[in-house]
Amino acid sequence: MKFHVALFILAVAFFHGYSADDEDAGRLLASKNVLNQYLVEGRDLTIEYRIYNIGGSAALDVKLEDDTFPEADFDISSGSLVAKWDRIAPNTNVTHAVILRPLKYGYFNFTAATVSYLPSEKSSERQVGYTSAPGEGGIVNSKDFERRFSPHVLDWLVFAVMTLPSLGIPFLLWYSSKSKYDISKAKKN
Amino acid sequence: MATTGLSIIVITLFAPLFVAGDSCVGPSVQSKYYVTREAAASVDTVFIVEFQLTCKNGLKNMNLYADVNGKLLPVTKTDDSKNKYQVSYSDENKNLPAGHYDVRFYDEEGYAILRKAQRSGETNDSIKPLFTIPINHPGVWKGPIVQSEFIAVVVAILVWYVAHSAKSHLQSDK
Repeated sequence: MKFHVALFILAVAFFHGYSADDEDAGRLLASKNVLNQYLVEGRDLTIEYRIYNIGGSAALDVKLEDDTFPEADFDISSGSLVAKWDRIAPNTNVTHAVILRPLKYGYFNFTAATVSYLPSEKSSERQVGYTSAPGEGGIVNSKDFERRFSPHVLDWLVFAVMTLPSLGIPFLLWYSSKSKYDISKAKKN
Repeated sequence: MATTGLSIIVITLFAPLFVAGDSCVGPSVQSKYYVTREAAASVDTVFIVEFQLTCKNGLKNMNLYADVNGKLLPVTKTDDSKNKYQVSYSDENKNLPAGHYDVRFYDEEGYAILRKAQRSGETNDSIKPLFTIPINHPGVWKGPIVQSEFIAVVVAILVWYVAHSAKSHLQSDK
């Protein structure tokens, strides 16, 4: 019996301590998303990071770092893969976006970026966390994409020029005989 | 004696710079921005403004806030040593139509005044931003309205119709 009471008190103390600690510490949740409809080689790839502070106080010295894009496979078009905020207030969120250009096609596994921060002003140890991972995505060959989605204006123009002789030559023959016939008809009258 | 006089002169010359240490004096900005142009590249419209800020008083590592489309966002620091910053903003396509947007930037002081004004329900037009970066958004291209195949079919039918009507006209003449 005594043992049970002791255990209970210990549990309460632990829980209380944990929740009190929780209340005045910043806690961050981070997501990473690919916003594209199609991932195409050589075209813009939009990555968006969102960081929410669900804790009781501001998270300080927040650093978001994404080293999951090898330089050989991706060009950075806009934005930075390293982002810092001095503080993220409780119950607020921040957004960060990066535009990349895939240099190769094929499957690529989009993995998590790292977020590190100080949970409160008292803490000296940095809390390290990860964003969500968008998972594997297929990057389409730009030629395949063009073949499927471009308006093919040039192809249609070539087609029109190729059909022109079979339509145009009979028309010209007919038109010249028609104009002759019309003139002779007019002379007769 | 001469050295103390000199040091007083130096202090009086440079003291204002240190006093005004919290606000950026004479900001000059080099900026570039990105907006989503194609719906294929992103389901939402994304604005990214990147800029490098130089203050005449050499201030670095500032806490800045941006007002994009009426929303206040903390500015992201991307490179402390080069004083580079970035603002990212995204929303649904329909909420960010094509047009001209002004991104206004405020320092801590301006941000505090702005928040106070917002709380008391005043408009924030009267508060002068530290600097402004204009964005021109040409709109998001969602693909052709009419497929090229459709146009080709319409042209083909038109040609056939003209030929057919000419032929029936000839035959009725006989």
